[in-house]
Amino acid sequence: MQKRSPLGTFGIYATVIFTCAALLFPIYWMILTALSPRTRLREYPPRFWPDDPQWGVFADLLATQPFALWMWNTILVAVATMILSLTVGVLAAYALSRHRLRGGQGLGLFILTSKMLPATLLVIPLFAIFKSLGLVGSLWSVVIAQATLIVPFATWMLKGYFDTIPPELEHAALVDGCSPLGALVRVVLPVAAPGLAATALYAFVISWSDFLYARTFLTTSESKWTLNVGIATLKGEFVTDWNTIMAASLMAAVPIIGVYLFLERYLVGGLSSGSDK
Amino acid sequence: MATIDFDNVQKSYGEVHAIRDFTLHVEDGDFCVFVGPSGCGKSTALKMLAGLEATSAGSISIGGRDVTELGPGKRDIAMVFQNYALYPHMSVRSNIGFGLKMRGQDKADINRRVEAAAETLELTSYLDRRPRALSGGQRQRVALGRAIVREPSAFLMDEPLSNLDAKLRVQTRSEIVNLQKRLGVTTIYVTHDQVEALTMASKIVVMRGGVIQQIGSPDTLFAEPANIFVAGFIGSPGMNFFRGPVEIENGRAQTRFGEQVVPLSVSPDRLPRGEAIFGIRPEHLKIGGETGGTPVSLGLVESLGTEKILHFPTPEGQAIHSLQKVIGSDDAARDSTTMLARVIDDRRYSDGEHVRVALPEGKVHVFDPETQKALS
Repeated sequence: MQKRSPLGTFGIYATVIFTCAALLFPIYWMILTALSPRTRLREYPPRFWPDDPQWGVFADLLATQPFALWMWNTILVAVATMILSLTVGVLAAYALSRHRLRGGQGLGLFILTSKMLPATLLVIPLFAIFKSLGLVGSLWSVVIAQATLIVPFATWMLKGYFDTIPPELEHAALVDGCSPLGALVRVVLPVAAPGLAATALYAFVISWSDFLYARTFLTTSESKWTLNVGIATLKGEFVTDWNTIMAASLMAAVPIIGVYLFLERYLVGGLSSGSDK
Repeated sequence: MATIDFDNVQKSYGEVHAIRDFTLHVEDGDFCVFVGPSGCGKSTALKMLAGLEATSAGSISIGGRDVTELGPGKRDIAMVFQNYALYPHMSVRSNIGFGLKMRGQDKADINRRVEAAAETLELTSYLDRRPRALSGGQRQRVALGRAIVREPSAFLMDEPLSNLDAKLRVQTRSEIVNLQKRLGVTTIYVTHDQVEALTMASKIVVMRGGVIQQIGSPDTLFAEPANIFVAGFIGSPGMNFFRGPVEIENGRAQTRFGEQVVPLSVSPDRLPRGEAIFGIRPEHLKIGGETGGTPVSLGLVESLGTEKILHFPTPEGQAIHSLQKVIGSDDAARDSTTMLARVIDDRRYSDGEHVRVALPEGKVHVFDPETQKALS
């Protein structure tokens, strides 16, 4: 391999450091705001680290707000959305990948076009449907609504992954005595594990960060609020407690950062698979 | 162990007929090879037998039991795939034992049988490895292990050697034949390689365009091909063809090959009037001699040591220019204006050398130019 020039090395490091700094700055600012005393929030020039970090802000938040309930609701919604999207996505993607369906290609494209509709466009008809089904105020409304956005992309992502798995693997499993569903569960899904992990993470993250659907369907039912809805209520009409909001946002972001760090290797493998065949 | 019967099986995809009138009986313990150019329907026929493709019409029986409507797992067969299809997330041990596990065998029994199969195939020291840590030949043996461990009624093999290099292919070929003879399990083997077919099979089914062209032993197909396609496909190199007149002399039929008058063993009343297509295998041509035969100038000499392939032009006016059409587009590489002779001797031949070529009596095949069928 050709040795890189010092200038080239500097350029690469400079780019990496700048990109990381740009991406991490909002998180740093959240930490700074959360820990700063309320009176210093609008100070100019700002300090790079508060002289007197207010660590108690986290305990105050937990004591004054039902933060644990919001977290629990968010976990329930994210996990349920992930399971629902993955189940529907796997079955749809497998059918599209393996079976010569009449109009299968058109159907595949149609699924993708539904991804192109903005969530704000779907929220009104979804509200009307959920209202008639009595689901408004239930966590299921958010789960189903989010799944409508996630399933199309998950289907396409998984279809691409299944396409790279030779069908002979299932044939071998069928000859070995598996049922078609058994071949999918015992052979195809384990082989597709990186693709499944990537899709699961995508569904989890999208669901975790949803605000629009949760705010629309859950506003009237306080005990069902998710993190994003709960945090939004911390913004008062006359006074906004920014350091509490930032502390809550930080705590809301921690689980997702953890999940990301844990699944990162699968995510990269899953998203790039199929490009080398 | 079982007999296998295809009874008038058909397969079509919409308007396209992939398999037509497929009727075949395979005896218990036979090694039957389906051979033909790509797209001839041989793999489709195998998949229908395995239950991986549905039949459009007709029935399939294994061991006298109609399995047409049964799923692959209920047919008591084992299959070896071209790309081995080993489960990448399982160890060699789990790969071999998977079929037994699916059939609810107890763990101790599975272990015993997996180890016995591994010993047969010299895989014992690889049992705990994953397939990706094995060489191509070892993977191939794992695939065979997965097939033999279940002791099925029949083995189905879909071009199992095509991913191996030439040397390993020859070695594995004999291993498979020996294994099959020892186990005595009826085997259906699909290949496009006629050398594999001739060396391994006890029965060969030659297919083209979804239709069986001929069924027979390797010797039968070589000596008595049913039509021009089989004659050209079986043998390496394939049969030479030329056009020639049909003449009747003193009640006996004869044709001409250049200057040589070639007596025919076919009864005159079975021959077409005017012209026919004649075939001679490269190894049956006699090269050399001062008299007899017809003089030719050698175009190219391919030497493989003692064996040589001599190329020479078809005598003038006797080349079949539509040969590609007659034999089929799969054999388009064959040049109809050139004939080949295969000789095994110590003589040195050189390009451009003049030699005499003679067609021995009794070795010339005659084909109807209309139907392309062999006349005998």
